[in-house]
Amino acid sequence: MRLLYIETYKLFRQSRTYYAILALFFIEAIVLLSAYYQGTGIIDIVLANLKDTFYFQGKLLNGNLIIYFILNSFWFHVPLLCMIIVSGMLTTEYQEKTLQTVLMQPVVKWKYLLAKYIVASLFTIFLVLLLALTSFLLSYGIFGKGDLVVYTNGLTFFEHDDAFYRLVYAFLFGTLSLVFFSVVSLTLAVLLKESFKTWIVAALFLIVSTLLLKIDLGNDVWNQIAFFKLNNTWQYFFNHDIEWNTIIINSVLMGLYILVTMLVGLFLFQKKDIG
Amino acid sequence: MIYCERVHKKYGKVRALHNVSISCGKGEILGLVGANGAGKTTLFKILLGLVTADNGKVEISGDGAKKIGGIIEKPALYPYLNAHENLRLFAKMQGADFSKIAIEASLEQVGLSLNRTDPVRNFSMGMKQRLGIAVALLNNPSCLLLDEPFSGLDPLGIEALKQLILDLTQQTQMTILISSHIIDVLSTVCTNLSIIHNGEIVQTGATSTILAACTKSYSLCGSDIKKASFLSDYDTISNGDCMTISASATEISEIIFKLSQQQIAITSCRPVLDLQQLFNPKEK
Amino acid sequence: MKLYGILLLFLYAANGFSQTAEEQVLFIKSRLDSIETFQADIKLHVDISFIKMPDKEALAVFKKGEDLVIKSEDFVLIPKRGLDLSFSELFEYPFMVVDRGEVEGQSTSLMAISILPSDNKADFSVANLHIDTQKQRITWAEINTKKDGAYTLRLTYPDSQAILPTKLDVSFEMDRIRIPLNFAGSDVSIDRKKIREADQKTGKIKLALEYRSIEKTQ
Repeated sequence: MRLLYIETYKLFRQSRTYYAILALFFIEAIVLLSAYYQGTGIIDIVLANLKDTFYFQGKLLNGNLIIYFILNSFWFHVPLLCMIIVSGMLTTEYQEKTLQTVLMQPVVKWKYLLAKYIVASLFTIFLVLLLALTSFLLSYGIFGKGDLVVYTNGLTFFEHDDAFYRLVYAFLFGTLSLVFFSVVSLTLAVLLKESFKTWIVAALFLIVSTLLLKIDLGNDVWNQIAFFKLNNTWQYFFNHDIEWNTIIINSVLMGLYILVTMLVGLFLFQKKDIG
Repeated sequence: MIYCERVHKKYGKVRALHNVSISCGKGEILGLVGANGAGKTTLFKILLGLVTADNGKVEISGDGAKKIGGIIEKPALYPYLNAHENLRLFAKMQGADFSKIAIEASLEQVGLSLNRTDPVRNFSMGMKQRLGIAVALLNNPSCLLLDEPFSGLDPLGIEALKQLILDLTQQTQMTILISSHIIDVLSTVCTNLSIIHNGEIVQTGATSTILAACTKSYSLCGSDIKKASFLSDYDTISNGDCMTISASATEISEIIFKLSQQQIAITSCRPVLDLQQLFNPKEK
Repeated sequence: MKLYGILLLFLYAANGFSQTAEEQVLFIKSRLDSIETFQADIKLHVDISFIKMPDKEALAVFKKGEDLVIKSEDFVLIPKRGLDLSFSELFEYPFMVVDRGEVEGQSTSLMAISILPSDNKADFSVANLHIDTQKQRITWAEINTKKDGAYTLRLTYPDSQAILPTKLDVSFEMDRIRIPLNFAGSDVSIDRKKIREADQKTGKIKLALEYRSIEKTQ
């Protein structure tokens, strides 16, 4: 608990943490603005075919759609920023040699790193919650409520209450992916030690994971369990019928990946000499 | 007590330490003298548990949760925190007393101001060294390792640090191991010296004994020293008001006596170490 | 002579039978014209293969001579065609009625007729109707518009006297759907085969009407 408090204290005493949070809010604001200006056009394109046959009553460019846009744009810049901040929790200590000073105190090595993993995960969750909260508040505040329309092999409309819960669940379950990337970045920091190297490899990992998401592995089992295939679990909440079984299995698998990555990091850290 | 026996460490093909044995008892100050890259820092890292020796035995005895504290190279502190916050953080992580009173006592012990609230990145090297020592002393370790503590300090800073080290030994009977390549400073602080060269301990013993064995000349300074005509009987090198004289310890006493007889004032008499002899005692 | 008499009888009967179809239509038209205003709560159910939408509730407000107004707080898809419960579009311009005979296989007496507009200004080319001759109302209509394709209506009435239906099924052809892929949720697998299969499909909107008020001319 002491170590958890200390890691949290250090994280929030550093200005780069606040730069990252501000950057995320800035990106969120850009997404909101672009949704505001382009959202109508996108809806017009989507509904173009239907205009021959239907009139539309009610507005689709509402808070739910904006939150959905934000959610869609979430899965690269948010993990990237998280990875930079989280990896810095360790690489800075290597660089400034405060890690040496810490390990010269009676502190158990693996416990020290475990505290960092836990705080990194909590920080990631905190960021997602913060973004989600501001997304919901701003989107509903500016754009109001209404039905959500998504395209997943057809147009699916969700009424506001239903859409709200689906969006909340999507954020919640999507957080697991982000925690996984954070944990990976900390493990990379254990391996690489230097800030720039860790950022580059972490970014590469994120990019490759995003690209591999679209690849069909030709095997149902691998398509189900490969970690990069689990990153879009949140999408299942926007199928008409929510496949809870698949979501839960994916989440458990993602949890296992997180655990394994952490254990690898802890093992390597414990074995490695410091300095 | 700090004790290690036949410690070996290799980094790839590079031999960092070979068959190193040292011992430093309670209340002793042992100086580890060596050139840059001799293996001092590697040995300290092994003693502090940061690096694992390839083989050999290491024993650190003492009471309490923390047996040994230290500084490796430069003191590493969190630059965005101030002195209080750094001490508080390090104290808290090891379960030591982190109350305001305890922290202020630590700061006073190393001679740091209680009122300074700016972050450590603004501190001078001397102040960082003191704070580093304060961190090393948290939780009252029995042993203290200081790796190149005098590097980067001005003369006043060096004097202050020397006094602090001496006070610690006297007050707490702490075992202190100091490494440096500045032998002049070490010789005034340490009771014993170990000389390390190319990863091996080449000689160990009382400071005075080692220095005496390696001293083949002395530097005498005085404004009228050139007037001492008898000095021409010795091998001398003149340098302004100073003269380096090749002489033994006995001979230099006689020289000083003769100079006093001729009423030639001497402002300093400093032994000049033969570094070859110091680091390669088997070669004569 | 006998043959001539039978022929005359046949022509007379045929003439009388055609007039009956037109009279039927005109009578139904007058019944529908008697509706001045109505308000109804409607439930819309979308039955289109590539659209999944929950049932929606809306309020329909009709005033004679004006388009039907649908009001809803939610987003609703309102079919452009098929909500003309008074069939005023069919009767706006002069028309011809063609009797197609009885509709086979029905328990009630249904007459199949075709309405052909005489004026080029009409929006439709031909409308095929099933008329319940006993209850004097339209139960089924297939309207072929000039610009917007064909659509069919199936009307269900609550009782034998009702002029306005409580259930209305509107069926129409849907064009292929084209969705810009970058709108799709990220990493959605695009099943192109399914999309192509969805190209030529019939869509259906089912409406359930619960009338709050109906005002008729006295």
